[in-house]
Amino acid sequence: MSFEEFQNRARLYVIGALEPEETEEFEKARKDYAQKAEDFIAQCYDLHEAFALSLKPEKTSDVLKQRLMSMVRQRQAQ
Amino acid sequence: MPAAAPELEPGAPTDIELMNAIQREDPEALSQLYDRYNGIIKALILRVIHNEAEADDLLQEIFMEIWNQAKNFSAQKGKPLGWMVTLARRRAIDGLRKKQAYARAEERLQTETEQQPDAWVHNATEEEITFGDTRVLVRRVINTLPPAQQQAINLAFFRGMSQREIAAKTNTPLGTVKTRLELGLKKIYDGLKELRDEL
Repeated sequence: MSFEEFQNRARLYVIGALEPEETEEFEKARKDYAQKAEDFIAQCYDLHEAFALSLKPEKTSDVLKQRLMSMVRQRQAQ
Repeated sequence: MPAAAPELEPGAPTDIELMNAIQREDPEALSQLYDRYNGIIKALILRVIHNEAEADDLLQEIFMEIWNQAKNFSAQKGKPLGWMVTLARRRAIDGLRKKQAYARAEERLQTETEQQPDAWVHNATEEEITFGDTRVLVRRVINTLPPAQQQAINLAFFRGMSQREIAAKTNTPLGTVKTRLELGLKKIYDGLKELRDEL
């Protein structure tokens, strides 16, 4: 697999859209390209951030945050 | 290739600093991280499950998981927001698959897709661009994609669908779905890289 093809697959991989039959070949290329592959995959995860940032933020209630922080403090106290 | 991150107030702790503090079990850091990103994470959850009450419950669970799993975060492997989004997306898609209302959500998605096939499309005004709205800039990159590519990525990312599932849902050959995903993701990836270089 060329590195360009690996890059195409990596972008599918990080969003979980690689088909099972593509995964084996991808994992083999990942091993072959070693650190170069890992660096590229790490960069691809920025796509997740981009997709989230493309959405308009939703409002949440203050009660939700109070509940969360109360749970966190309870967890700490345990 | 980091995507453009939201601008911070001068002197505000960075996301990494907040994550480091959460790893030291500082609740104030989680509170600040929540204030910074709850709206984005909730939008992501809602995009997947389409239910306000369930989205609130899941949002709380996700931030609790961020608190509990913070030790697993490593800045070497990526940025905090990317890590949180990955975690939130996985939880939301798991929730969607488990819940009995899956079929109803599918119906709603179908209706939305028919009414607005390119739901990401948003006409950014120059005023919004001037204000440096990260969301608008990222959307502008996404909006350069043909609607069919946007739809394929939307179904894969926000619905957790495989290529085969997308092919079946959109009545499109599998090879075409694969090409749409590959081309679309590459364009977004390259576009974000350019965007980052411009900022």
